[in-house]
Amino acid sequence: MASGAQAALRLSGIRKRFGAIVAVKDAALEVRVGAVHAIVGENGAGKSTLLKIGAGILAPDAGQIRVAGEEPPHYDARAAQALGIAMVQQHFALFGDLTVLENLILGAEPSRSAGRIDVAKARALATRALAGLGVTLALDAKVKELGVADKQRLEIVRALYREARVLILDEPTAILTPGEADALYVTLRRLATEGRAVVVVTHRLDEVAEHADVVTVMRRGETRGTRDVERGASVESLAAELVGGALPPEIAPAARELGEVRLDVRDLACGRALRGVSFDVRAGEIVGVAGVLGNGQSELVRVLGGLLAEDAGRVAAGSIEVVHEDRQSEGLVLDASVEDNLVLGELGSYTRRGVVDDDRVHATAVARIARFDVRPADPSLSARALSGGNQQKIVLGRALAREPHVLVVAHPTRGVDLLAARSIHEQLRAAAARGMALLVVSADLHELRQLADRILVMFRGQITATLPPTADDHAIGAAMLGGQTAASA
Amino acid sequence: MSGGGGQGGVPTTLVTETIRMAVPYACAALGGIWSEKSGVVNIALEGMLLASALGAVVVQLATGSAVLGLAGGVAVGALLGALHASLVRHDVDAIVSGIALNLVAAGGTRFVLRALYGSSSNSPAVPGFHAGATSPSAFTQVVSTLGNPLTLLAVAALAWTSFTLSRTRLGIRLRAAGEDAAAAASLGLGVARLRVVAVTIGGAIAGIGGAALAFDQHQFQSGMSGGRGFIALAAVILSGWRPGRAVLACAAFALLDASQIVLQGQSRASHDLVTALPYVATLVSLAVLGRRARRPSPTG
Amino acid sequence: MTSVAPTEGPSRRTEVLAVTSALLVAWIAFALLVWIYGESPLLMGRLLLDGTWGTAYGAGQVLFKATPLLCTGVAVEVGLRAGLFNIGAEGQLAVASVAVAVVGAHVGPLPSIVALPLLVLVAMAAGGAWAVLPALLRARFGAHEVIGTIMMNRIADAGIGALLGGGLAVAGSVRTANLAPSGELPRLDAVLPALHGSAASFALVLAVLLAFASEWALRRTRVGRELVLVGKNPIACAAARIPVPARLALALTLSGACAGLASAGTVLGYKGYYEMGLGAGAGFGGLAVALLGRGSAVGLVLAALFFGTLQQGGLAINAHVPREVMDVLVGVVILAVSLGDARVRRAAGRASLVAAT
Repeated sequence: MASGAQAALRLSGIRKRFGAIVAVKDAALEVRVGAVHAIVGENGAGKSTLLKIGAGILAPDAGQIRVAGEEPPHYDARAAQALGIAMVQQHFALFGDLTVLENLILGAEPSRSAGRIDVAKARALATRALAGLGVTLALDAKVKELGVADKQRLEIVRALYREARVLILDEPTAILTPGEADALYVTLRRLATEGRAVVVVTHRLDEVAEHADVVTVMRRGETRGTRDVERGASVESLAAELVGGALPPEIAPAARELGEVRLDVRDLACGRALRGVSFDVRAGEIVGVAGVLGNGQSELVRVLGGLLAEDAGRVAAGSIEVVHEDRQSEGLVLDASVEDNLVLGELGSYTRRGVVDDDRVHATAVARIARFDVRPADPSLSARALSGGNQQKIVLGRALAREPHVLVVAHPTRGVDLLAARSIHEQLRAAAARGMALLVVSADLHELRQLADRILVMFRGQITATLPPTADDHAIGAAMLGGQTAASA
Repeated sequence: MSGGGGQGGVPTTLVTETIRMAVPYACAALGGIWSEKSGVVNIALEGMLLASALGAVVVQLATGSAVLGLAGGVAVGALLGALHASLVRHDVDAIVSGIALNLVAAGGTRFVLRALYGSSSNSPAVPGFHAGATSPSAFTQVVSTLGNPLTLLAVAALAWTSFTLSRTRLGIRLRAAGEDAAAAASLGLGVARLRVVAVTIGGAIAGIGGAALAFDQHQFQSGMSGGRGFIALAAVILSGWRPGRAVLACAAFALLDASQIVLQGQSRASHDLVTALPYVATLVSLAVLGRRARRPSPTG
Repeated sequence: MTSVAPTEGPSRRTEVLAVTSALLVAWIAFALLVWIYGESPLLMGRLLLDGTWGTAYGAGQVLFKATPLLCTGVAVEVGLRAGLFNIGAEGQLAVASVAVAVVGAHVGPLPSIVALPLLVLVAMAAGGAWAVLPALLRARFGAHEVIGTIMMNRIADAGIGALLGGGLAVAGSVRTANLAPSGELPRLDAVLPALHGSAASFALVLAVLLAFASEWALRRTRVGRELVLVGKNPIACAAARIPVPARLALALTLSGACAGLASAGTVLGYKGYYEMGLGAGAGFGGLAVALLGRGSAVGLVLAALFFGTLQQGGLAINAHVPREVMDVLVGVVILAVSLGDARVRRAAGRASLVAAT
């Protein structure tokens, strides 16, 4: 650990609940200057919530917050920033209609009398802040025109412009290629050495093992311990700590027989995001789609799911079901019952002369709850009351129960606890074994390696490579950046 | 109607009438822009115009001063704005609040009218800023219309609005709050406070328009806003929430109004159809703007 | 708005609490305004009650005034369930009134038993037709229906004025020709002689039927259910292949049709013709009814009766206190109910009233 100076930021006894769900209970965290501190935990462990409390964005129900040894009387986002705490969230706090300059200075604008902004001074300060991090951006460009990685850099520059002493980043590498992620950590290392405290919230254990000095593990809302990271720490030992015991290894998939082509996509294009994608998926096959988020994967899924109309190309498929990325807004009607959600879109088959047969609907719901192990097993509960994993089971179960020829799943285990994730993987494999053709989009390479028979890598709206799941990180990373590698059909 | 009929004939009258009639529209539209830019939908412009018109008249009658009357109108507008913003802040849907405020303004003004002056249709006469003298030449007619304090104020309001929104701390923070309230809050910007300030300022500017309306007619008449608040709303949407263009749209609508008055001898029917033009134009633009015609999103 | 999810709506107790507090606020506002005007609130309250439920005639008038309010209340409610804000009830019912008055003047040759259902259909079709344009603008272009329906209100105003001035009106007047006798809805005093003299008609029966029929349809039919689901999360519904634009357009159009039925009470059951301003105020009153009615048919009926009482009561006290005080009260009640509603929604962690897509 760093020398015995006091902690830059210290949280203790933090508790936070949202309605009936306790997100954080009795969590503690100590962050020191000069170190890169990783907070790990599986999805839903409460990491983001805890750090948002640390940054003043959320108020805790209980607990203490100390900045540089002092407990501030009134701690909110503004106070936190004044004290030098800045957070780069997963959903950027950037404003598309405002310019880069305006976004940078927002909230800390250099001004003259009567609230007028001192434009010259603002430009000077902004240019200096950007240069400090080696970032080039046009000050007058509207932020909505920037790419994802540039937006992230802008967020970091803004934090530095406000002279942040504690810089918190929430899942920063989700949107970066392996190479860009490495570059980010180099920057973070430098910032830490210059006398700041850097906190990275992540669920990527490989990053922790390679880049972090200190790691705190969170599980189910509690902090389970903090320790230094030894050079060469193993991912497996960290993973074991996460789940509280060694994980049984995932069963290696049995070889599946492939049938005829069930999904045939030719030259699919849509706007600038999707620029000519062609591939096919056979019955019994699981094809994975990898690539840094924002390279057309979302659009591909939305086109296949009918939420977006393509400009060119064609899709040939029998029956197709799509499980979209964002289950809360695209998969579920949260304020409706589990029962309503389980048959969403199917009411037509339960209707006679315009009226719905409630008994049949109920029976179907009960059967699906049992089959997909949705808990609690009460069809009348509001979908909002269920955990992320169970919500995902509803959406996935609904799609599987319709036994389509083709199943497209986007990020099947995002925000889902490890055990539920395992069960979802099993369901997917079983579906493939039954002859379904599966297309799985995921930002989790580990997941794709375990599930897919082959992996398509997308970059800038096109497929740049088709690789076997055994391909190494380097090859996949290169493909993610657009380098063509020897494709294997 | 103030001193028409001087020399210069139809074209001059058209110009002066357009300017005169544009002031309430423009002030209401600017008021709407302040509100919506900060993320608060405001369909209560109609009620603001009406209530502030009465406020201006009541104060002038009570104090004898046109300036104080104007201040009264501005104050009433600001009050309604503050009320709207506070209601929205407490999670009342902005549309519901707007409708309710319009209802309260409509009924309330008639109530006050009867309570204070015993009439349910108009108040006693007020001089406003002019005694209504006719001017000898076309040129001085136009100049005096332009030089009317209320016209000047409206122009000043436009300039100040444009400047403030783009070049000051308040303006930039307000725009951020209007675009993404949650993000703005996470940056430490006091979103609720910004909105109350914005909508109150907007109400105050709309109040100028209400005062202009009343002083122009030299009295308060029940229901005298006559849908102008909705025309202003149309202007706000048509202009894409841009102050300069909104005022231009208002001028265009005022021209429509003025031409009806000036070119008399039209049948009632075509008069009504012309009245409907701004609304039809807005519908058309809705089809064109589509999803973008939903700018403010009061989340958070 | 209350949710349809069976186990997670606001409890019965919260609902009662919300309504009683709104009524309490209304009474306080009434008392305050009356007192400012220099009269005694208790006295005025007494007059109000006497003039409404105190006599059979008064009660009849309350029923008469409640009828269009119930129709527009149902209209707004149907829209809200689908996540839409129909502010256009005012224009829809005006257009329906004109249509029904014009067609009704020509149904002489038909017997009542044919003419009346026909006219009801005309009323609802006309109201629905006036909502179709904003409905399409919303469904097809995503344009906000609030602006669309407001514009349609103003256009209706202008258009009807033009029509009446341009020859539709009977010469020398500003109203349409009389209905043929077979087109008139009988008054309620035909079966309830006590109500003799009041304008309440069988239109009330139609309105009540409408309220219960809509509630049933929203709950039990496929289209109704999908409409409600769309109101809660249109994106998820689109992903599940529910035809969202079609449902939205249908919802707004049906909403307009419900508003159109209000003309049955004013034209068919009362005046026997249409003149400018007939039925004015019922549009926005419908919003108040829908908000106070808390989403159930019974609630809507009770709310309509409440606001009908206010309207009639206003006339009863008009000699002492301007009846416009009632308009203010409507606004106040709307706000009181909304504030209470907001409390409930916030406690349940729910999103805002109108699905802001």
